[in-house]
Amino acid sequence: MKTGRPAGAGLLSAKDGRWLCFWIGALIALGIWDHLFLNRPAFERIINGFINTVFIALLSVVFTLAMAWVITLAFHRLGSANNRSGFYVLSFFLNLIRSIPQIVGVLFGYIGIAALVTAGMLPGKAAIFLLMSICMSGFIMPEVIDLLRERIDHYVKLDFFNALRVCGVSQWRIINFDILWKNSRIHILNKLISVFGSAVFLQCSVDFIISVGLSSDVNAVTLPTTLGSLLAKMDSKQDILAIGNTLTNPAYLPQLFFQHLQGLTVASLIVITLLAVYQISCGYAERHRL
Amino acid sequence: MTDMRAKFIEHALGIILVTLLMVVTLFLFEKRDTVVHERRYAGIKKLLDVPIVTINDPFERALLADCMDLYYPGRHDANAVLISELVRFKEDEFNKSLQSSYRTKRLSIATLGEIAGMYVKFLLIYLIVMALTYYGVQTLGSLRFILKQQRRQNSLFGRRRPFFLIGAARSAVKTLAYAVLFSPAYVIAYSIRTEFNTDSAFFMILLGVVSNGLLIMYMNKFYAFLVAESRKGYVENALVKNLRSDYTLSGPEGISLRSVFSPVKRFSGHVFDHIFRNARFQYLSTIKEQASFLITGLIIIEMALNIHGHLTYELLRQLLYKNYPLVVVIMLAIFYTVKLTEITTDILVHRESRRYENR
Repeated sequence: MKTGRPAGAGLLSAKDGRWLCFWIGALIALGIWDHLFLNRPAFERIINGFINTVFIALLSVVFTLAMAWVITLAFHRLGSANNRSGFYVLSFFLNLIRSIPQIVGVLFGYIGIAALVTAGMLPGKAAIFLLMSICMSGFIMPEVIDLLRERIDHYVKLDFFNALRVCGVSQWRIINFDILWKNSRIHILNKLISVFGSAVFLQCSVDFIISVGLSSDVNAVTLPTTLGSLLAKMDSKQDILAIGNTLTNPAYLPQLFFQHLQGLTVASLIVITLLAVYQISCGYAERHRL
Repeated sequence: MTDMRAKFIEHALGIILVTLLMVVTLFLFEKRDTVVHERRYAGIKKLLDVPIVTINDPFERALLADCMDLYYPGRHDANAVLISELVRFKEDEFNKSLQSSYRTKRLSIATLGEIAGMYVKFLLIYLIVMALTYYGVQTLGSLRFILKQQRRQNSLFGRRRPFFLIGAARSAVKTLAYAVLFSPAYVIAYSIRTEFNTDSAFFMILLGVVSNGLLIMYMNKFYAFLVAESRKGYVENALVKNLRSDYTLSGPEGISLRSVFSPVKRFSGHVFDHIFRNARFQYLSTIKEQASFLITGLIIIEMALNIHGHLTYELLRQLLYKNYPLVVVIMLAIFYTVKLTEITTDILVHRESRRYENR
């Protein structure tokens, strides 16, 4: 039956849809403005940095899901096989990862990657991207594992689990297909949206710290350009510092949008992405009543 | 109790394992430096103590060559090679001491004392930010929940919604506030650096609370707990038992603003008291995660803003100067802080759950 709703109305009626549109709209608006008023090399650097950041964050999401899924299955297998020592060892190491602040773990991981690049052991950009995202996933995955285990524990207690077992359905199919895919994919997707936000935040922060604090040790050439490393560049930092100038000299405000575009664009991209991704995640949870 | 004991054992094992791992790493770094040094100058090891005061003085070099020829006769060429190596070693040592005298830092009692001072400062800032966010999360979460309930009650009683423009302005201000709260600390700090000194402890605390999305994320989490609790059956039960349910912030039937902003929140006789207490119990178990996130935020602030004399900036500096033993010590200090928070949270949650389960 036709409802007669205009195209796109469904997307805009939900909070997550509205924020997705806001994010894309803001990116397009920034892109157009920069195309008009920012010099070509800086504009290209920003596009490159943004694509790299998003790409690494997306790869992190994929690796986080894969690692978390495998470890959750290992937990379930060890639990159901009554292998208590194996279960405790796995849980012990997972909790140990949890006790390392993410930023410290990722920072040391990146320093290691930079050392490998300098030693010529990482051949191409793809390998660097892969390692960077694996490194980040290692420190984000505990929260996804918690979610997956919680979902499995909840469903295993219900009647349908035993009923399916009696019907001869294998335990692995019930866990992977019936519980995690059919009954938890909305929860997982919601978690992955916030994992994407965390990955962007960590990526930008670590790159900023490395570029500011370890610039002579970990050369900017060894790691790919991201929004964090772009923001740490001297001209970007001066652009951001100019914002403070407008607090006491408001007449300077219009010049920000023409003379300080590089830093302003990079900072806006980071903030808008973090805000929009968080709101999309919240909106998605509200829409599905998670 | 067994569950708590198991948790304690796990924490203790974690601390022991990481400490051992770090001590071994420390030992390996120290040993590696010595081995590299020894291997490089293995040939002249016996001659390292030969006192040459001025290495470029031709007289001293000639004197040394004569001595060597006397001690090891018949191998003049080999002696000359040894002397040139010795001179190069002395030159290297001298240059290195000039170049890196301000960089190289050995692990000593004085250095440990310096790090301990920074650690105490870090702990103090961490505790203040933790207390402020703990208070802020619950206060703002409660306020948001109460305002939402007010709007719900208003719409039920057919009260008018605000004028469109006022609504739009409110949304714009809200989005702007959200943007600030979600900004990474370095973006906020650099934006105001020309006008304010962002390197002070006060600014670190302020940035720790408002930036990196910490306050807003956990406030929303607490709000979600409140909403989930308000949908539970016991709320209906409480209403039947004549508990107050008016969410206006004034009047005898409503909730007083003072109790919302009070550090110890009590809403006696109001259904919100039960909703709040149950939500707080759930929030307690997320404090571990919040603490880890908070430490991440503080590390970002100190490292990204290059705040001198602070623990994690020192970590970055020692990493840059390759003083790895100091890096290991600072890493251990950070790890112990996280572990201590985890143990404290476990004790708190355990106590609360015992109260809830009437044990």
